[in-house]
Amino acid sequence: MNELLSVLGQAVAFGTPILLAALGEVVAERAGVVNLGVEGMMALGALAAFATAQTTGNLLLGLLMGVLVGALAAAIHALVAVTLRANQFVSGLALTALGLGVSGLLGQHFVGSPLLEPLPGAEFRIGAVLLAIGVWGVLYLTQTGLILRSVGENPGAVDVMGISVVRVRWLAVLFGGAMAGLAGSYLSLSYRPAWVDGTTAGLGWIAVALTIFVGWHPVRAILGAFFFGLLYHLAFRLQGRVPSEFLLMLPYLLVVVVLSLAALRRQQGAAPEALGLPYKRGER
Amino acid sequence: MKLRWIALAAVFLGAMGLAQSAKLKACFVYVGPPGDYGWTFAHDQGRKLAEKALPWLETKYVESVPEGQAMPFIDKFVKDGCQVIFTTSFGYMDETVAAAKKYPNVIFAHNAGYKRAPNLATYMADFYQVYYLSGLMAGALTKTDKVGYVGAYPVPEVKRHIDAFALGVQATNPKATVNVKWINAWFDPAKAAEAANALIAEGSDVFSYTEDSPTTIQVAAKKNLLAIGSHYSPMLKYAPNNVVSGQIVHWDKIYIDFLTKVHNGTYTNKNLQNVDYWWLLSHNAVELGADINMPINPKFIPALKAKMVKDSAGKMVSVYDLVMTQLKEMSQPKPSFDPFTGPLKDRNGVLRVPAGKTMTEEELTSMEWAAPGVVGAWPNEPK
Amino acid sequence: MNKPPPSLRRWVFEPDPNPPASRLWLVSLLAILAAFLASGLIFWAYGVSPLTAYITVIQGTLFDSTGLAEVLRRFIPLVLIGSGLTLAFRAQFFNIGAEGQLLMGAVAAAGIALFVPLPAALVLPTMFVVGFLAGGAYALVAAVLKARLGVNEILTTLMFNYVASYLVIYLINGPWQGKTVRGFAYTDPFPPAAVLPTLPGTLVHWPTLILGLIMTVFLQLLLSRSVLGYELRVAGANPTAARYAGISATKVVWLVALCSGGAAGLAGVGEAAGIHQKLLDPSQISLGYGFTAVIVAYLARGNPILTIPTALLMAILFAGGDVMKVSLQMPFRVIDALSGLLLLFLIGSERLVEYRLRRKENPQ
Repeated sequence: MNELLSVLGQAVAFGTPILLAALGEVVAERAGVVNLGVEGMMALGALAAFATAQTTGNLLLGLLMGVLVGALAAAIHALVAVTLRANQFVSGLALTALGLGVSGLLGQHFVGSPLLEPLPGAEFRIGAVLLAIGVWGVLYLTQTGLILRSVGENPGAVDVMGISVVRVRWLAVLFGGAMAGLAGSYLSLSYRPAWVDGTTAGLGWIAVALTIFVGWHPVRAILGAFFFGLLYHLAFRLQGRVPSEFLLMLPYLLVVVVLSLAALRRQQGAAPEALGLPYKRGER
Repeated sequence: MKLRWIALAAVFLGAMGLAQSAKLKACFVYVGPPGDYGWTFAHDQGRKLAEKALPWLETKYVESVPEGQAMPFIDKFVKDGCQVIFTTSFGYMDETVAAAKKYPNVIFAHNAGYKRAPNLATYMADFYQVYYLSGLMAGALTKTDKVGYVGAYPVPEVKRHIDAFALGVQATNPKATVNVKWINAWFDPAKAAEAANALIAEGSDVFSYTEDSPTTIQVAAKKNLLAIGSHYSPMLKYAPNNVVSGQIVHWDKIYIDFLTKVHNGTYTNKNLQNVDYWWLLSHNAVELGADINMPINPKFIPALKAKMVKDSAGKMVSVYDLVMTQLKEMSQPKPSFDPFTGPLKDRNGVLRVPAGKTMTEEELTSMEWAAPGVVGAWPNEPK
Repeated sequence: MNKPPPSLRRWVFEPDPNPPASRLWLVSLLAILAAFLASGLIFWAYGVSPLTAYITVIQGTLFDSTGLAEVLRRFIPLVLIGSGLTLAFRAQFFNIGAEGQLLMGAVAAAGIALFVPLPAALVLPTMFVVGFLAGGAYALVAAVLKARLGVNEILTTLMFNYVASYLVIYLINGPWQGKTVRGFAYTDPFPPAAVLPTLPGTLVHWPTLILGLIMTVFLQLLLSRSVLGYELRVAGANPTAARYAGISATKVVWLVALCSGGAAGLAGVGEAAGIHQKLLDPSQISLGYGFTAVIVAYLARGNPILTIPTALLMAILFAGGDVMKVSLQMPFRVIDALSGLLLLFLIGSERLVEYRLRRKENPQ
């Protein structure tokens, strides 16, 4: 029993940053915008949070900066992919490269000087779960959520109602960036309170995978994040019995399986209808 | 094209001291970014210290050079007038050999490899003694009798360090085991964190590791567990209440010695065939330390003084005294003590080092067996 | 006060129903310039004068024999993958899994080189054929899922990158780990018959280079001169029309998956047999060629032959990053920042092509 609890505890700890980032991605994708820049936004958020906390000594200010810079990075994506209607996937890839590049360049001065009093992790873990429930509440119980989901399903209809599709999508993408920034801040202020180049180590991509894996559903994302955390944890627990690589590749394989199964049942994996499609008034 | 050859000739003349610059130019090929705060960071510190110490030295470096692709950078370095080129990863071995053949007038030194040539030396600052001492402390401090080790790749270098560590652990605590998790990466904070968490979940309470980031320490510190974990660079500041000690490297000692000998003509491009730096505690190339000049974090000295064990002569001593005595002993020019002295059996009971024999450098750099007390997967374990 | 009379003519920025083809190139060129200006800001923030940086890059790549060879070496995988991707993009099959397909090609090459006894003369050709098939088959999985079930290929190919990467890590740490590598995560070195020749003194494995050039020409001809190419163009430009014309969308998707995945597989064979001569950590095999090739293909606007100049541009950027590392002692992240900016500016500027700046009579 104790053993089980400890395994679950680890799964939750690992799952927290990917849950945070995935929640943001769920919101953005629910509004119809794929953002593959999560890894880059997370890295920028992690650096901004750490640099601020390190120079001012104020952890909460650091957290705020991490969130802000994440959102700022997302604004690039919103500008290119929403306003200028460029290919969302390519724009996201570019944002990841830019984010990793800029954070690696500017982070050099912060290497080798850790934060002595990091933020506690428990609040983040609980906060992430509460945020997931909150996002679910907003998405499914409020007018705002209805509009946001409609923008992802049928932007034309929303437009006809006189609501700006571009504005809704911008806000959703900014929220996605803020959450990625928050996930990055969790890494650099709490989970591994230091800056090293490459600190995100692919977690952003796992968050993207998670978003699809849970069928764009924020509450299922909680379970999904902990499930991925469990796999990652088991990869090391079962070492010597099962090659770690198989457990580590499993999340990515499962995404493909889930997408295929959903497609088989003709549900499209509950993917928003207009996912990945730029919206232009008068088209469609 | 002609002009370029003239320029090249000028560089060579310059190198021979006939033109403007009389400085020796040494250039470094790094495998990672100095931003890793690990392996490459330590080499870069060594380079900077050497440059500071030697007024006639000029250095250059290039970071994150992928394995198998160092040659173009070496070409560029040679064109830029580099006279000594250091390649700082095992993975560059064959390329460095090829480069030494291609540029017989340039002096090369390859880190962690074993192939040499008249103009190619090898060098390594090795931690195995320091890991043994780390193990002594880990064995004394563990309350669960489980010590954790996050390993990068199961290669002889890391296996040697884990074995030395385990021998130390068992010397002060024969009941204790060293539990190993591999991450199959030199640098991956996410995997290192999860490997450390897995070890924590399995009951380990003192940690050591081989990975290029401070992650393992930070994960241990979060649970208020201990780390003998300054790896390559001082890490006390990463967890002042949890870092007991660690393994600090001083590449500058080797760089300064090697470059000085190149500068004064002792080493040339003709006589390096047998030049192999295998520098240990006695050369001050490595240091036992929570921080520079702090072998043991004072917070843990009382606990280590309280724990009494039998030393090799059968006398009861405190672990603190044992560590300090052996540290002093192994820092002598000709240490009389070496952790890899027989009789040593592996964890399956097979005799690996007969009584009275000490493992040679060649044996150490190719060792594959696991010491008693090591628990966990051990790829390529000899039968 | 005497106000000047309002001008009767003014500049307007308005949608252009029929943008001329030349504007596309003009806008792209401006976007590239803007991206260089923006990255100049980053260099400046880092403490390197942008002008020095660019002069150094140009000198170190185009006016230096080592630099030129480095450009050429990067050009090989980029032109191979890029030309395949132009075809895929043209057919609306957004394969961003070239990185994984490249790795599968490298795995196939290593498998043949190390474990299949063949007459020496057949080794390399077999490696290329099997590498092509491995990369193609890997992309085909995504194509089948798309054609049969409608599963988004961007997501599947993206996920397959990671699967391939872990597969390589598993192989080199497990069953394929070399006997002579002292426990390091490599396979044994390839036998001499499985090693590609290079131009003397460089890493330019010229057989793959020639293969890449042939590939661009072949794919261009396939696209513009064959029935298959016609079907592909129609299916990409107007799926509905294609259906009425009796063109099988499935066939087109399969074809482009095979071509683009196969080309990436060939690139993987080239990197493994030409540069490394063994299988090793995925991050060392490909330096993100699969992703950079997306830019290459994107810039070539659906014309395989145009990947020759666009791959050259990106190859210069790659090699230029190395020059900055050596000559200006800058971190390797420079390249990421630069290519990210370049891509953002290019796709962001796309929309501007549909607009024109015109002097218009003021209605007042």
